[in-house]
Amino acid sequence: MIKSRKQIAFNLLLRGRFWVIFLSGALLFGIRWSKGAGYLDLYSVLLKPILPGTAQREWIKEGDNVERSIRLKLLEEDNTRLRRALSLKDFNTGQRISAAVISRSSRNWWQQLEINKGSKDGVLKGLTVIGPGGLIGLIDSVTPLTARVRLLTDPGHQVGAWIDRTQHHGILTGMGTNRPKLIFLNKNSLARIGDAVTTSPASTLLPPNLTIGVVKSVNEKALPSPYAIVQLTASPEAIDWVQILKNNAQK
Amino acid sequence: MLKNNKNILIFLILICLQFCIITAPDWLKINGITPCWPVILLLPFSLRNSRLKSSIAAVWLGVFIDSFTIDDVSYVPSLLLLSVVWSTYRLHNKKIELFLNIGLMAILGTAFVGFSIWIQKIFFYSVLRNNWFHSWSIFVLISEVIITGLVAPFFSSWLLLTYKKN
Repeated sequence: MIKSRKQIAFNLLLRGRFWVIFLSGALLFGIRWSKGAGYLDLYSVLLKPILPGTAQREWIKEGDNVERSIRLKLLEEDNTRLRRALSLKDFNTGQRISAAVISRSSRNWWQQLEINKGSKDGVLKGLTVIGPGGLIGLIDSVTPLTARVRLLTDPGHQVGAWIDRTQHHGILTGMGTNRPKLIFLNKNSLARIGDAVTTSPASTLLPPNLTIGVVKSVNEKALPSPYAIVQLTASPEAIDWVQILKNNAQK
Repeated sequence: MLKNNKNILIFLILICLQFCIITAPDWLKINGITPCWPVILLLPFSLRNSRLKSSIAAVWLGVFIDSFTIDDVSYVPSLLLLSVVWSTYRLHNKKIELFLNIGLMAILGTAFVGFSIWIQKIFFYSVLRNNWFHSWSIFVLISEVIITGLVAPFFSSWLLLTYKKN
């Protein structure tokens, strides 16, 4: 008798609408509790193959570029302001003169370039000359229509440089070859092969942070001070156009 | 058209020399090194003129060619000495027009000019004294000597013959 009552109750429970109501309530509670996570996840899974599309990707990239350029501009302005506060040289990208190489002597006793812009175009002695890849030299002399560039590789030519990673300064000295020597001012250079060599941010002659080259080899035991051989990133033998930066002239 | 030796030298220096230096044609280069033009021009002139005239020409040529290079070291001392030596050689040796002789003199002259520039560079730039035997200097010296030795027999011989005719 008892057994049959239990069976009747079980059948009523199973076949009745109780479970439907219970499950619906549980589902509703789950959705509310997870704030529709299941639906959203399902929606994202379904849209995954088509989003972001080509156009959307371009928009995203464009937005990213715009954001980066704004950030770069803000940082440059900030940097300029701080450099002025410290009385250091500015790196003004707006003041550049483009010039063509009209004569080249990059492997002789004198290693120089002649360019087709002179004092009439505002070129002055001591200005920095850069090419694709980075710094290539300084203006040595000027005529009204041309200028002579003394290359970094010219024997005895010296400019200040540093290795950004170690923040150690040195003097980049031309040795006649394509690989000038960076003579360090410290006894322990800590330089490694592959380190980037740039102009010093503390330089009062050259614009800061111009790429010069990459460390090719290091001699820590050299006397009186260690040195590194630097592979230049801008090859003077292959450059037809250069740019002159107008902010460090010796008037 | 050109009446005397002086006019020929003036014409060559003012027109041809700077053209050769500035344009520096690739087919006249060895490893990017051009011939030593002042030696090529001075050699025949010195072999046909007195010491005084040669010395004046050497100084003039040296000053002129120095204006096309970076202002640190000069061609003048070495060219002056070479002009004196070649003028003296002219007084003692009559057979100077031999083809190879001219080339050999140009080679020795170029080597001397190269050494002079090398030593001056080492003298003026203390940083080069740490390791004065640079591979770069040897490279430039040998290349310049070779290309000058190849060009001089033709160009200097022709100039010498022209001077003689005048």
